[in-house]
Amino acid sequence: MFDNVTTRRIFLQKGLTLLAVAPTIPTFLDQTVLALTDPSDTKRTQQDSGTDGKILVVVQLSGGNDGLSTVVPYGDDVYYRARTAIAQPADKVLRLNDYIALHPNLGPMKELYDAGDLAIVQGVGYPNPNRSHFRAMDIWQSAQPERDVADTGWLGRYFDNTCPGCDPHVGVSIGETLPLAMQGEKVMPLSMENPRAYRYNGRDQSHYLKLNQLDQPTTLPDVETVDIPQIAGAHPITTPASQLDFLHRTAMDAQLSSEEIIRITTNHNSPKAYPAGEFGAGLKTIAAMIAGGLPTRVYYVALSGFDTHAQQLQRHDTLMTQLAAGLSAFWSDLQAQKNDDRVMLMTFSEFGRRVVQNASNGTDHGAAAPMFVLGGQIQQGIIGNHPSMTDLDQGDLKYLVDFRSVYASVLQKWLDTPSKPILGDQFPILPLVRA
Amino acid sequence: MKAAHLLNRAGFGGTPQEVDRVLSLGPERSVDWLMDFPDAPAEEQSQSDAPDLSGIQGVPTSFREIQMQLAGKTPDERKALQQQIMAANRDTTNATIQWWLNRMAAGAYPLQEILTFFWHGHFTTSANDERQAMLMWRQNELQRRYAAGNFEPFVRAISRDPAMLDYLNNNQNRKEHPNENYARELMELFTLGIGNYTEDDIKQAARAFTGWGHDGEDFVFRRGDHDYGEKTFFGRTGNFDGDDIITLILRNPACPKFIAGELYKWFATDDIEPALAQSLGDVLYDNQYEMRPLIRTILTSQGFYSPQVIGSQIKCPVQLVVGTVRLLNVQMPPLQQTRGYLTQMGQMPFSPPNVRGWPGGHMWINTNTLFVRYNTGLALAGGPLPVLDRITPKGQDSGRPLAARDLRPSNFDPGSIDIADATPEEIAQAWVDRLIQRPIDKDKMDVLIDAAGHGPLGNPPARRVVQLIVSMPEYQLC
Repeated sequence: MFDNVTTRRIFLQKGLTLLAVAPTIPTFLDQTVLALTDPSDTKRTQQDSGTDGKILVVVQLSGGNDGLSTVVPYGDDVYYRARTAIAQPADKVLRLNDYIALHPNLGPMKELYDAGDLAIVQGVGYPNPNRSHFRAMDIWQSAQPERDVADTGWLGRYFDNTCPGCDPHVGVSIGETLPLAMQGEKVMPLSMENPRAYRYNGRDQSHYLKLNQLDQPTTLPDVETVDIPQIAGAHPITTPASQLDFLHRTAMDAQLSSEEIIRITTNHNSPKAYPAGEFGAGLKTIAAMIAGGLPTRVYYVALSGFDTHAQQLQRHDTLMTQLAAGLSAFWSDLQAQKNDDRVMLMTFSEFGRRVVQNASNGTDHGAAAPMFVLGGQIQQGIIGNHPSMTDLDQGDLKYLVDFRSVYASVLQKWLDTPSKPILGDQFPILPLVRA
Repeated sequence: MKAAHLLNRAGFGGTPQEVDRVLSLGPERSVDWLMDFPDAPAEEQSQSDAPDLSGIQGVPTSFREIQMQLAGKTPDERKALQQQIMAANRDTTNATIQWWLNRMAAGAYPLQEILTFFWHGHFTTSANDERQAMLMWRQNELQRRYAAGNFEPFVRAISRDPAMLDYLNNNQNRKEHPNENYARELMELFTLGIGNYTEDDIKQAARAFTGWGHDGEDFVFRRGDHDYGEKTFFGRTGNFDGDDIITLILRNPACPKFIAGELYKWFATDDIEPALAQSLGDVLYDNQYEMRPLIRTILTSQGFYSPQVIGSQIKCPVQLVVGTVRLLNVQMPPLQQTRGYLTQMGQMPFSPPNVRGWPGGHMWINTNTLFVRYNTGLALAGGPLPVLDRITPKGQDSGRPLAARDLRPSNFDPGSIDIADATPEEIAQAWVDRLIQRPIDKDKMDVLIDAAGHGPLGNPPARRVVQLIVSMPEYQLC
């Protein structure tokens, strides 16, 4: 009863009258107006068809993935002396060269590497690394290490910069919350956990829609407003009206995306089975959305549980299996769809872990670590050198590649957008994409 | 509106009777009334009102006991025994959560329970990591005892709490290889906030906490694992142990300011000026870390009742579910169902996402959670039951997901709440007053009145209105 086309048409008609009352127009409408008022604008991030643009998939490894157990410096005795109980044995690891190798459970990723679709960036980090999960995660997601409190993420600013009025489909995060990385000032991407539950269940749709769609800014009767001095440099003050605006916007975005997503993700068939659990289910949903031609530029999904302070071996081994099985199933899926050339996937974690194991057969919070980049058009291989195992910073690996260099390369070479406005500075570009 | 505000923030929302009571008592005496609860765990308050822990009676709680029971068994027997132990603990943890949700909804001391819930997010531990049901229950009781008590013995007790010692790995903090996890979070999240200590302070504090561990339900100090060497912490040098570190932290002016700020944000608003945080911190410090004077100061302040604060907070999922159960006067659903609602909204008790607890605010709302929040309200108001096919009944990692037949419909009966035989206008107004408790936009009121008069057939007018109100942005706020 409420298909997207009709909705869009309704908003298109209403849109012209809504232009004057900017605060509560849904993000979708913004773009419609933008397109109408500026037809010469060719830099729109979203393509009309959704089947020809480039796509970025970000995989967050939450908790601090132990880089040394992922890309193992098996050629270095220091590694085996530092990790007496938890080292990956040299005869089991999957060798990439005479110094580094992949974790034994990353076999499917070794296959992707051998097939030319996987690259590894070594020793990624940033100056004065923070070892708090939350602060470090905020730094990676905001790409603003210098800010104490970050309000926007690097992908959020990408959306803001390239298409301030984009349909919220431009970014889709799988999970309960929207990560800081995806938060911008102008665009609020979608969050979705279970496509089958992504809808309003009520029977009285017509009244529900009226209660959740504002055609004028929120006014609250009978409430006097009092000026509260704003805190310097802080967020705009939260008020009941600002909260209601925020909720209305979200409600409209949810309604506009619901039917399309349910339609696209129902009955998606994949050539290889995805691993059980949220991560595998999330990747499968993403593959279905790509297959369905959703006009999404960035997808975001997380694999959690990497905070291995104690009894690391079994836990980390299981996570490696999940990671490799997930990426492998995802890649087969995209290849079968013939969408692999349109997709780049990158992994990151908030930090690596300390070189020397702790007394609990685990590892404490560290610093620099490797990143994986998967894609049909990426430059296969190993980028950068492995950080020194002996020249350490407080027991942790020193970074050789700034993570913002990786972001800059993705933005410029893959998403075809200048990186400096998003990252605040021009960082060196890495050879991630085949020339 | 102000009476309802106090009950929303210092509890889980007020019924009309409670709102009347607050109105008759006035703001100060209402806070007295809300704060009139014993600083004691539930088991001391009443022997009959406690979760059913019988499932873990005789089930070993310490590593040593488990090893003794496993000794001499075949691998298959060991596996079976371990699974039995895990299942008993999981069932008992579930019983504890169900009991707690009921206590929030129907217990005598809503302020104590919402504070206990605040501390659960502050000094947090996840049952996904701490699988001993008894230890999770002990921590919950500790947080109830000190909910509005003195922060100093509270932080000393939480540093000795077995579940916390497990969760942040202090049980494995030994002098040969200090484990920094507890020392870091103690300062970053529990007492000072980021920026008030150095990385070296963390390393030194970790040494001071070496040897602090537990054996089953008991805290133990393992001399052999403790580092008796000199440490330099906050510029002072001495042979400090964990208690000395806590003393030095409590003397740091950043500590009362941080704790007072966290409580203010919880009760009032995230927008807190440094000067206000400082004054509230002074109240805490001048009262030797007794928290009641601080809580009273916040709940009776003008700022707490300002128009920017009333109706500006996004209800956390637990508030939304417990509050809806209270205001609609319905039964709390079985835990397997509530788990589905709360997990999808991002806030399952005993399952915080990480040691920081739940971030709250705008993070509760995105396109996904908004649907879940609306659908949960609908279900509690007698509407369709939601799809919960990613949820296992007991919260296991794997297993059969919930099917439609597992879900219990709500017993919501609008007729039991006395506004029968009313006009559409009266029905809509009565339920807005009861559920939103603040004026709403006139156009929206007209929509509700229209729904009361002309909604889909087969649903009585009051039910139609209620199902729509819980699906409104306004209902998400308090």
